[in-house]
Order: sequence, then structure tokens, then C-alpha cells
Amino acid sequence: MRVNPNPYPDILAAVERTQQQVNTDEQEIASGQSVNVPSDNPAAAASLVQNADQTSQADQFERSLGSIQGEIQSADSTLNSVTTALQQAIALGVEGANGTVSATDRQAIATQLQGIQNQLLSLANLPYQGNYVFAGTATQTAPYVLDSSSPSGVTYQGNTGTNNVTLGSQFTLQANLPGSQLFSASGNDVFLSVQNLISSLQSGIGIGTAVTGVGSALSYINEKQVFYSNASSQLTAQQTYLSSETTQLAEQQNTIGGADLTAVVSNLTASQTSVQAALEAVGQTAQLNLFSYLK
Amino acid sequence: MSSLNASLATALSGLTAEQGALEATTNNVANVNTPGYSRLVPVLVSSDPIVVDPLTLGTGVTLQSVESIRDPLLESQIQQETQVQGQFNSLTSALQQTQDNFTTSSSDIGTQISNFFDSINQLSTDPADLSVRQGVLTAAGNLATSFNTTANSLTQQQNSLDLSVVQTVGQINQLTSQIAQLNGQISNLQNVGESAGSFIDQRTQAIDQLSTLTDISVIPSNNSVTLTTGNGAALVTGQQSFTLQTQLNSSGLHDVYSQGDDITASITSGQLGGTLQARDQQIPAILTQLDTLASSLANAVNGVQAAGFDLNGNAGTNLFTPPPATGVGAAASLSVAITDPSLIAASSDGSTGSNGNAEALYALGSQTIINGQTPSDYYSGVVFNVGNDVSNASAEQTASGLVLQQLNDQRSSISGVSLDEEAANMVQYQSAYAAAAQVVTTINDMLYTVVNMATLTG
Repeated sequence: MRVNPNPYPDILAAVERTQQQVNTDEQEIASGQSVNVPSDNPAAAASLVQNADQTSQADQFERSLGSIQGEIQSADSTLNSVTTALQQAIALGVEGANGTVSATDRQAIATQLQGIQNQLLSLANLPYQGNYVFAGTATQTAPYVLDSSSPSGVTYQGNTGTNNVTLGSQFTLQANLPGSQLFSASGNDVFLSVQNLISSLQSGIGIGTAVTGVGSALSYINEKQVFYSNASSQLTAQQTYLSSETTQLAEQQNTIGGADLTAVVSNLTASQTSVQAALEAVGQTAQLNLFSYLK
Repeated sequence: MSSLNASLATALSGLTAEQGALEATTNNVANVNTPGYSRLVPVLVSSDPIVVDPLTLGTGVTLQSVESIRDPLLESQIQQETQVQGQFNSLTSALQQTQDNFTTSSSDIGTQISNFFDSINQLSTDPADLSVRQGVLTAAGNLATSFNTTANSLTQQQNSLDLSVVQTVGQINQLTSQIAQLNGQISNLQNVGESAGSFIDQRTQAIDQLSTLTDISVIPSNNSVTLTTGNGAALVTGQQSFTLQTQLNSSGLHDVYSQGDDITASITSGQLGGTLQARDQQIPAILTQLDTLASSLANAVNGVQAAGFDLNGNAGTNLFTPPPATGVGAAASLSVAITDPSLIAASSDGSTGSNGNAEALYALGSQTIINGQTPSDYYSGVVFNVGNDVSNASAEQTASGLVLQQLNDQRSSISGVSLDEEAANMVQYQSAYAAAAQVVTTINDMLYTVVNMATLTG
């Protein structure tokens, strides 16, 4: 059989193919990624799109969680202050209930209690970054205003709305309790109980009952405070989960699209050697033909 | 009885024939690097003998012809494969440009979809905050821009492919007219019994080039070839060529016409076939997917907007300008309908701090609102399709390249000029020439002897 007398196009094509592989390998090494364009591995490229979306979501959940966490902590510590204020009110009430206290002293105690009531009002009107935390979802107006016509001395202007915030693909957290469930819950109205104590101190009648009323409002608040401490610990747990999810997603991303550098570098070396060998072969055979020997 | 004169004539025929054979070698050596050149082989035959009773005497050698060595079947296979190669070359390079739009970056559609839903998640934590609301509008704007940019880039690519269609048709017309002309030259030569080897080589070369450009059928006939397109529209018959025309269609792209018939859809291979495939099938398919994604997403977001209340307590209005009802062009025209961040309907009950509707908007990101898939999953499907198209086309390109290379090797092993072979031939012809010359010298001596002998006796 007659041999193809011109093998150079083949050799060049082979060199070109190897060179292309060299370029791909170099790109992989430079980027650290085995999927640099979708055609490198279409299925992996599609998985990477989903991975990037999940990673972006997880990062956002962490940011959102941070925003919510501040508000929850602020509400929690405010309820601590409410507890302290109510404990003071009870102490004052117990002091006023003592039969040896004069009417003038009871008046003075009542005045002190009015100070506490003002403090409670400002605690219930807690703002957090421009929003009233205990206003339900009517967050742009202060939930409690002084109202002398109301038996409790205040009126609740907020609503009963609550917000649920998605902070994970499987995790939604209720982020607030409205004032109507905290300070002005029917039967356990904080303001009413304090107002009753003030009135009873002023009149000297039913102080003990009024103190008991404040006491039950206090235990109600403590009960409700569990909501915030629960939320707080749920957030902490979710934060841990999200950061492990982020790590997992990064690992997954690396498994799908990361370059196997050891393999790539060894391929690269092999390719370079083969290009060099092919070129050397061309260089040597090119000088050989019968004409060279006819002298 | 033989004569010295007859022997001299016989020796001379050897000189002439070897000289002619050497010319073939010379031509082969000169064309060693000419693409498409088929080597020449001299066909030497012994001349008709004469009968001088009782002897039959040879009268020397004749250079009957100089043949070009080629395999027509192989050449037709090469032309077929060249068409496939041309198709996948242009398809691959077109699609590789396309997929650049779908490579993960900070501004690709996938990233912007994530950013958009992320911004809504942030809004959910503080629905009344204007700067957070502005963040949602900005993310929606970026999302619209990424759809616009990608769709426009695909359309632009379609237009530049269209330009290449027109240019390729021009090249095809040039080649067919050249082939028709060569047909004429070949039949003129062959009609007078001359060898038309080099013209046939040129024609083969031109047909190869034409095969790179489009799908053709080559029908050899007497001294000439007839060329048609894949579906039978005439390109060349004898010395006449038929031009292809291009004409703008309703979508602003050029269709290819042959003598009044639209043959665009029937052109499937060659560079023109690949270009048309990318322009008319692959890129429009991707655009349609983007339109589906853009319009379904915009409609879903607008639908949820309408169910909620903005910061002023009014019912929500469209966040995105409603996409065209058919969805066609939705990606290119996607835009944000509002500039006032307070108009985002985050509230589900009209109160400023409610995030109920923001949560509903956010939930769209994980709902199967795009042809049964979530937005991000649908987009990842688009990326898969684009990547798969490129990877298939480039695999076909590589495969056909290897087949073509093998076929070319075969052609070269049949038709290619080997310098070793030519050197050997040269030596062979040269020594035969020298031998014939030696014979002439000898006969010359013999004639001299005869002449001198006559002088002596005279």
C-alpha cells in the first residue's frame, strides 16, 4: 500500500488538539475550576447554578437573621426592664399596704408608681430602627398613648398582627408579639394593674388585691417573655445551621466544579511532553527524503 | 530486415518518452505543496510493432498519456464530510459565543434572580424601611437588565450570523461560477483528447471549498460535473451556474432563495447550514426559554403584588411592566414599572409593618411558577441546554474532523506527491534517457561505419 507522503497536516492537527487541552488545563489551574463555561460539563454547570442560588439564599438568611436578632434581643431586654419595673411596683404596693403607712406616704408611693407607669409606657413604646417593636404590624406609630378616659390610663393603638420571617429553606420564625398580647392582654393588663394599684393607694382601699393584680400581670409578662428567649435560642441554632449549610454548599460546589489540580497538572505535563515530542519528530523527519542523498 | 534508421527512430522514441515522463516528475515536484494537486503518472506503452516477414520488430515506446491519480469515490466522501465539518465548525463557534452569556458571573441571570429574592427576604425583616425597599427595586432593575442584556446579546449574535449568511451565499455564487467555468475548460480540453488534470484538480478544490460552505450533491457527467443543493436546486450544470439569492423575511433575517424558491430550511450542512441552524433554531430556542422565564416570573411577581398593600395602604400595583401576552420578546423588554419604593406591596393587611405579602413574594423563589419549575431550577435548565448544545456540537466537530483527516490521509496516500518516489522516478527516467542516448551514439557509430565502408568500395 502506498503511504501518505504528507503526514504533516495530521501531526499539526494532533499538536493543535493537544495544545487545546493544554489551554483548557491552564485555564483550570488559573481559575481552580473545572467548569469554566457550561459546555465543560453541562450537568455540573446546571448544578453549580443551583448551588450558587442556595449559597446566595443561605448568605441572605444569615443577614436577615442578624436583622431580626437585634430586634428580638432588644424586645427581650425590654421585657426584663418591664419585669424589674413591675417588681418595684409590687414592692411599693406591699409597702403601701402596711397599715402603719400614713395617707400622705401612700400618696407619695402612688406618685412613685406613676413614675413607674410612665417608664412602662416608654418601654412598651420601644422603637427599634424606626419601628415600634410592640405595635403588632402597625410599626410606624407608637402603640401606647396616654388616655385619661381609659381605665388603664393608656390606649393601645397598634394592631394584633404578627410577622413571620423565612430564615431558612425549612425555617420560619414569628418575629414579634403585639402589645395586645403583652401589656394589654385582657385579664392581665399591665397598665390597668398598675393603674388599679395607684388608685387603691390613693383611696387606701383594696391595696392587697391590686398588688395581687400586678403580681399576676408580672407572671403573665414573664410567661410571654419565654417567646422571645425561645426565638433568640432558635435564632442561634439556625445561625449555626446556616453556617454549616454554607460550608456544606461550598464543599459541594468544590466537588462539582473544583479543579482536581493534581490530575490537571499531571495532564498538563503529559500534554506538553507530547507536543514537544511531536514537534521534534517533525523537525527530524522533515529533513529526510531521497533528493537529499542524490548528489 | 531491420534498418539502422529504424533503430535510430526507436532509440529516439525512448529519448522523447523519458523526457516526457521526466516532465511529469518535474511537475509533481513543483506541485508538492499545492493543495488538492493529484500526482501525475506517465503512461508509457510500447509502440505498435512492424512485421517484416518473418520478423516482428518493435518500434520503440510512446508516452500515451500523463494521468492524474485520483479516487472519485474518496473525493465525494471527502466532500460529504467537509460539509459536516463546515456545519459543526460554524455551529460550534456560534454557540460558544452564546454560552458566554450563561457563564456564572456577578451579572448573569441566575445570580440576579438570587439577588432579587434575597432582597425580598431582607425586606421581610423590615418591611417599612425605605432603603430596604429601594434595595428590592434595585435588585429588580438589575434582574431586568440582565435579561435585557442577555436577550440583546443573543439577538445581536443572530444578526451577525445573518450577515454571515449573506456573505456565505456570495462566496457560494463565486465558487459555482468558477466551477462552471472550469467545467468549460475541462470539456474543451478533453474534447480534443488533451489531459485536463490540473483543471480537474482546481475544480475538485473548488468543490471542496463549496462543500465547506453548504450541502451539495455532485453528479459527474461527461467531462463535467453537475452540482445541486442538498434538496436538488441546481447550482451548476455544464458551463452554466445558477446564483443563490438572499431576501429579507418578516423577522428581519435573510432567507436563501434558488430561482425564486425559498430553500433556507433545506440547507442543513456546510458552514451555511451550521450558521442557519444557530440563527434559526438554537438561538431562538434559548431566547424562547428566556422569554418564558422572564414573563412567568414577571407575571407571578405582579400577581402577588396585586394581592398585597403598599406602604401607603393601597392595593399593590405591577412591579414589572406586564410582559407581552405571548411572552415573545419578554426577556428583551423586561423592565421595572415603579420607581417609588413605597409602592412595593410588602403588607398583607395594609398595615405598614406587615411582611405577609413580602413573604408571599419571597416564596415565589421556591415555587414551581415557570413551566413546573422554580425560577432558579428553570434557569439552571437553560444553562444545561446551552452547555449541552455547545458540547454536542463540538464533539461532532471533533469527530467529523477526525473522519475528514482520515479521508484526506487516504486521498493523500493515493494522490499525494511523494518526494522519495519522484526522486526514484527521476533517477529511473534519467538513466533510461542516458541509455537511449547511448544507443543513439552506437547507431551513429554504426552508420559511420556503413558510410565509410561505401566510400572504400566506391
